[in-house]
Amino acid sequence: MRQATQGRDLELSRRAFLAATSGMLAGAAAFGLASQAEAGQRHPKRGGTLRFATRADVSGLDLHRNTIYLVSMPLAAINQGLLDLDQKSEPVPGVAAAWEASPDLLRYTFELRHGVLFHNGREVDAEAVRWNFERMQDPKIAQPLARAALENLKATEAVDKYTVRCHLHQPSAAFPADVVYYPCALMAPDSVEQADLHPIGCGPFKFVTWDRNNLTEMVRFENYFETDTEGNSLPYLDAIIGRPKREDGVRLTALRAGEVDLLDSMAYADAAEFPKKYAGKFQTWNVPTVGTSFILFNLEKGPFTDKQVRLAAAHAIDHEAIKQAVFHGTGEIAHGFYASASPWYADGVTAWPAYDPDKAKFLLRQARAVGVDVVLQTLPTPPYMQQTAELVQAMWTEVGFKVRFNIYDEVALQQKRRERDFHADSSAASYRWDPDGWFSRYILSTAPTTKIYSGFQNERADQLIAEARRTADRKKRLELYAAIDSIVNEELPILYLQHLTLLEAGSMRLQGYHPSVSGAFSTRGGGIRTAWME
Amino acid sequence: MVMYTINRILYLIPVLFILTVAAFSLVHCLPGDVIDVLAGQEGVVDPAVRQALEHEYGLNKPLYTQYFIWLNHVLHGDFGTSQVTRRPIALEIFKRIPATLYLAIVGTIISLLIAVPLGTMAAVKRNTAVDYAAQLLSLVGISIPEFWFALLCVLFFSLYLGWLPSSEYYSPFDHLGLSIQHIILPAAALGIRQAAITTRLTRSTMLDEVQKEYVDTARSLGLPEWKVIYQYTLRNAMIPTLTISGLQLAQLLGGTVVIETIFAWPGVGRTLFEAIISRDFPVIQAGVLILGVAVVVINLLVDLMYRVLNPRVRLA
Repeated sequence: MRQATQGRDLELSRRAFLAATSGMLAGAAAFGLASQAEAGQRHPKRGGTLRFATRADVSGLDLHRNTIYLVSMPLAAINQGLLDLDQKSEPVPGVAAAWEASPDLLRYTFELRHGVLFHNGREVDAEAVRWNFERMQDPKIAQPLARAALENLKATEAVDKYTVRCHLHQPSAAFPADVVYYPCALMAPDSVEQADLHPIGCGPFKFVTWDRNNLTEMVRFENYFETDTEGNSLPYLDAIIGRPKREDGVRLTALRAGEVDLLDSMAYADAAEFPKKYAGKFQTWNVPTVGTSFILFNLEKGPFTDKQVRLAAAHAIDHEAIKQAVFHGTGEIAHGFYASASPWYADGVTAWPAYDPDKAKFLLRQARAVGVDVVLQTLPTPPYMQQTAELVQAMWTEVGFKVRFNIYDEVALQQKRRERDFHADSSAASYRWDPDGWFSRYILSTAPTTKIYSGFQNERADQLIAEARRTADRKKRLELYAAIDSIVNEELPILYLQHLTLLEAGSMRLQGYHPSVSGAFSTRGGGIRTAWME
Repeated sequence: MVMYTINRILYLIPVLFILTVAAFSLVHCLPGDVIDVLAGQEGVVDPAVRQALEHEYGLNKPLYTQYFIWLNHVLHGDFGTSQVTRRPIALEIFKRIPATLYLAIVGTIISLLIAVPLGTMAAVKRNTAVDYAAQLLSLVGISIPEFWFALLCVLFFSLYLGWLPSSEYYSPFDHLGLSIQHIILPAAALGIRQAAITTRLTRSTMLDEVQKEYVDTARSLGLPEWKVIYQYTLRNAMIPTLTISGLQLAQLLGGTVVIETIFAWPGVGRTLFEAIISRDFPVIQAGVLILGVAVVVINLLVDLMYRVLNPRVRLA
């Protein structure tokens, strides 16, 4: 028997599991996860309405059909999953108060907290979880990230009202990270008919109204199960008003004009100056994210099928220049997928080829590829992708590549990728709470995404990814992922560039707001849940 | 007049038919479809899933069949549902029309309020300081990019003076006071640029008019100068101004994406832009058709206004 807790070997006996479960429940209560019957009273003073400006808005409201979390942070507050995230983006008890894994990591059993309610008053029971997971696995319904998160799930069993058992196709130590609220948010099964108009989740805030690209309104869910350390019920805020404002400058202006209280991110150019210029007038939070930008090489077609040419391209790239010019010195240069603030940051990864334009020219001559045509492509937004590509184009041109740079929208870009009609791609990926979510989708040779991205095939990397997935020991897993990142840096299917950060800013009236490493607005003991307006 | 109006409305039928064909065809020239969008960042769609979704959205039928199905629904007043949000088009597009219409009309009114007096004064006081100032202002107005002027307005009136809000939309039917506060900057940003063009036009048509014989006749009959200018000359000079303003208004209905983005204005332009990015064909088709109808109707109204301004204009 195994018990999934952070930083601990998962081997446990059944007795130990029960003891640990009881302990966890007690601990959870102490740390603000009381059962419904024990839920605290409303804090006598904390409340208010948060006006919140975000870059984007969701496409639709159905929690399973649409990516909600990263797109509309306000709407993410209606979400809750089987498991929650803590401030370091580690899976922790959520709707499930505890969980255990079978010794072979093929079965996970989740004990549900009693009395957790959906916003329509229906209890979140095992049957509701089963219905949710099955709907999220339906390729005609669910958005790709949710489907991908549950692709290893063979069957969901409602053992009894408060026990859910998940049977997996293959052993996986990563499964708990797959069932947190992003991307696997739970919705009330009896609300499916209204899912596109009025979603019913079980998160800290209830949906009120949504006018796409204009307004989102939510109010506090009075029966949310989480409490603060003093036993007061969370969240503190009475309401959230979301105001999508696509342009970075427009959001910042709205904050400065006092029209909003919080913005989700600002342009990197502003992020460098704003905290100093407006110190004492506005609060800022420099939040590292689980997001990394990179250059992706097409290993199946064009000049980068030759490793020598990839090495030349890598030696031509000045990471520090990109950090300064594109990211205005914020964040950190990426040597692996996870940044140093992440619990999955791995030490000892073999570095990618250092910036050395002379060596790049030499390698290019040696490969008889001087003046070779390179098609570099990217999306127009977020702006850093395009700006990075422009710099890379200049750096590659300087050492002897002939670079054609194309910008496409998402659909056209994916078409180019599928048709393998590109040589390199300035891209980024984010919010993979467990490294398996990154490596098994972008590096594993059999993964559909790898096939249309780099087309990378490396037997050793495949073995390590499979081994890491079935390894319960966290330290051992970290070593395995470091080894995979070393292979990535040597073979260069992708070249890591920069770990992304978010600079959030808010008015001085906003109190108790603690964004997490993931930039999550709704994490246990932090984010919007613990915020209030003075 | 009645026959003319009926005739013009009948002309609309082939125009709108051509518009539906153009809207439908152009939309389907875009690479990819909504299923690619739903595949999202992963970019991979299982062929069986694609087949099922194509069947669900009717994308597996021949294009001409899809067109006639859509046309049939439109003729029955059903624009369908968005393939992305799965909400009725009424919520996606119709709800945006008042915001866009409001912005375009107020912008045009601001434009006319500036352009007509300024252009008239410039013509009446030709080659004086007033004329030079009006010409300079209109030249500056034409030269300044719209987005830049909008940003200047925000910086000065919202951040520096703190008089007006920098963004957001409130319906005049729900919150009249807030709505007026929020419309001023975006409408001014739109209207002042339009005013620059209309001022020059008004000036030049007024100059033509004041040289005509009927003006001399009116003056020789001893009519006061203000009456000659404002009751007779200006009225005739307004016909081209009205034509241009009508066209500008029609253009504003679909062409305010930049202003809508800067002022976070939830109009049709932004919605259409988002729909194009996400290949939401029903929304794009409905949007293009509705805007097309609006343009045609505005042109008809402008033509009818000619007769009001100048009864000698025969509408036949």
